[in-house]
Amino acid sequence: MIKFFPWKKALHTKTLWFSLLVMLALGVVAALAPKISPHDPYKLEITQSKFNLPPMWVQESSPPGMPEYPLGTDRYGRDILSRLIYGTRTAFFLALTAVPLAAIIGTLVGLITGYVGGKLDASMMLFTDTIQSLPGIMFMVIIVLIFRNMLTPTWSHGLLTLVVGFAAVGWVSLTRLVRISVMQVKSQLFVEAAISLGASPQRVIGYHLLPNVLHVILIWIVNNIPAVILLEAVLGYIGVGVTGAVDGGEFTVVSWGGLFFSGRSSLNHNPLMVVIPSVCILLISMSFIFLGDFLKSISQKE
Amino acid sequence: MAQILIGKFLRMITILTGVTLITFLLMHVIPGNPWSGYSSSPRMLLGLGIDKSLQDTLNHRFGLDLPLWRQFTRYIIGDFNNDGDFFCGAVCGNLGPSIQMRGYSVQDVLFMPPAGMSIWESRFGYSIRLVMFGALIAVGCGIPLGVLIAKNPTSGLSRTSSVVLAALISIPNFVLGLLMIILLASHLKIIKVLPDWDSPGSWIVPAIVLAVMPMANIARMTLASITNIMNEDYVRTARAKGLSQTRVTISHVLRNALVPIITFLGPTIMEMLTGLLIVENLFSFPGFGRVYWESVLRLDYPMILGLTLVYSTTIMLVNILIEISCEILDPRIRSIKQQGIQ
Repeated sequence: MIKFFPWKKALHTKTLWFSLLVMLALGVVAALAPKISPHDPYKLEITQSKFNLPPMWVQESSPPGMPEYPLGTDRYGRDILSRLIYGTRTAFFLALTAVPLAAIIGTLVGLITGYVGGKLDASMMLFTDTIQSLPGIMFMVIIVLIFRNMLTPTWSHGLLTLVVGFAAVGWVSLTRLVRISVMQVKSQLFVEAAISLGASPQRVIGYHLLPNVLHVILIWIVNNIPAVILLEAVLGYIGVGVTGAVDGGEFTVVSWGGLFFSGRSSLNHNPLMVVIPSVCILLISMSFIFLGDFLKSISQKE
Repeated sequence: MAQILIGKFLRMITILTGVTLITFLLMHVIPGNPWSGYSSSPRMLLGLGIDKSLQDTLNHRFGLDLPLWRQFTRYIIGDFNNDGDFFCGAVCGNLGPSIQMRGYSVQDVLFMPPAGMSIWESRFGYSIRLVMFGALIAVGCGIPLGVLIAKNPTSGLSRTSSVVLAALISIPNFVLGLLMIILLASHLKIIKVLPDWDSPGSWIVPAIVLAVMPMANIARMTLASITNIMNEDYVRTARAKGLSQTRVTISHVLRNALVPIITFLGPTIMEMLTGLLIVENLFSFPGFGRVYWESVLRLDYPMILGLTLVYSTTIMLVNILIEISCEILDPRIRSIKQQGIQ
């Protein structure tokens, strides 16, 4: 349990500085995306023969890069830098919707099963075991396939399928963590005291159990944000991604994963198109891992 | 002991039934049917498509015209086929005919090796061998790495390597695989893009790609669990009675640190089995991962169910093995379980 925040330790942890800086920078980029992106990420420029430009510092290949398109263009002539900047928005959208949704479901189920125990607990454990024995990615793919036609793919709706898919599988692992922590806390004296003073179950769960398992939930959220950003990319790789989900229509979602896989087709010509989004994914994922490590270390000190 | 085993077995059966039921219901909710890929208008114009009457015949042949609950019992227990003979379902190991691979049943696709070879040459065997190879690399590198970092946590090398470990966890395996292919196959020409899977050398790169993230995870886990145990009283006692640092690390610390690490192996191997689905695609590896994607995207119903069953059974067997080995390593776990606290 995190009772106080050790500011001094936080100031001296370099990895924490790194992760906060990365997150802050990406947050600012995501917030200011329309202002700072040099071009429209959706606009096709094929007619102007800026077709598949390399980044501006690459000179030797046939069309040399130009400063107007700092990171070059993809094969439809769209500016990669702008797409990268707008991709940050997608990543933030996923991180701020999918993970909290899964966290809310997981916390509620975990708290209730851990508190009630008995038959409910046993049957719930059987259910979570079942979900965990399913191949997770496959489960998400099936759910995305189901909801893809129901939710019309516009900017956020295409991503909503992913949010639903992640939440449907992701909550299970949190439920198990919360349940075990709740059972440990429940066996302590202060919970017994609260119950014997006549506190209602809602009060015990809300005021005594929840604050004591909050660190577990927090660490889980931090650890799962990179997972959901990756998931978007993985689904794009399999071919059920939210990018280009509409038959015959143009790509609707701009994301790092989509950038990576559109870069895969021009690999020989311009390998940096694959490298740049991977570095973005790497940076954000590392920063969340460092943040998670720090949170874990301060919650273990107690 | 017999009671525990029976209990575990019953639980496994329940979970497998649940897994089949969930997959069965979900895959029937996916819009479309197995034939919808073949009934597009260009195909119909060329006379290659599957029209309505042919679809009905095929549906009848595969039992897709039955009500859903009948289809489910048909899959699990068995049913009378169109000639009136009884056939046994998944309980007998008959996973049904594949819709997309004409003439093959699901268990043939998964388990039948090429003529005259052992089961290790089948699709399932290939995948399992790759996972075992990867797990060997992950455990063989991860645990020593964790121990090395834990031994002198303040040195510069340890600090760098813990940052490197975080980076290794962050790299998605398809990025790593693609980079490996570009670097090793296109530029350095060390491996072939279309490898010969009979020679063990070509297994190394896919296994490494599969093993990198679990390896880093195991190393971090080892590091955490060893740092916890280093502060215990019995380690100080062992050191005080004159044992060498190496001896203490190996026989006192590592033995006790092994239980959390082995518990952690369960999710790790699960992660590797999931990673397999991507790595196999990347390296065109002849395992079952690639078949899985194709069957989901083309709605090959018996194939999806069969693969999910095989996958879940593998995961559960691994978990049971891990549970048993934990109980052997630390007998306290069993006694705690018997008291019912868990």
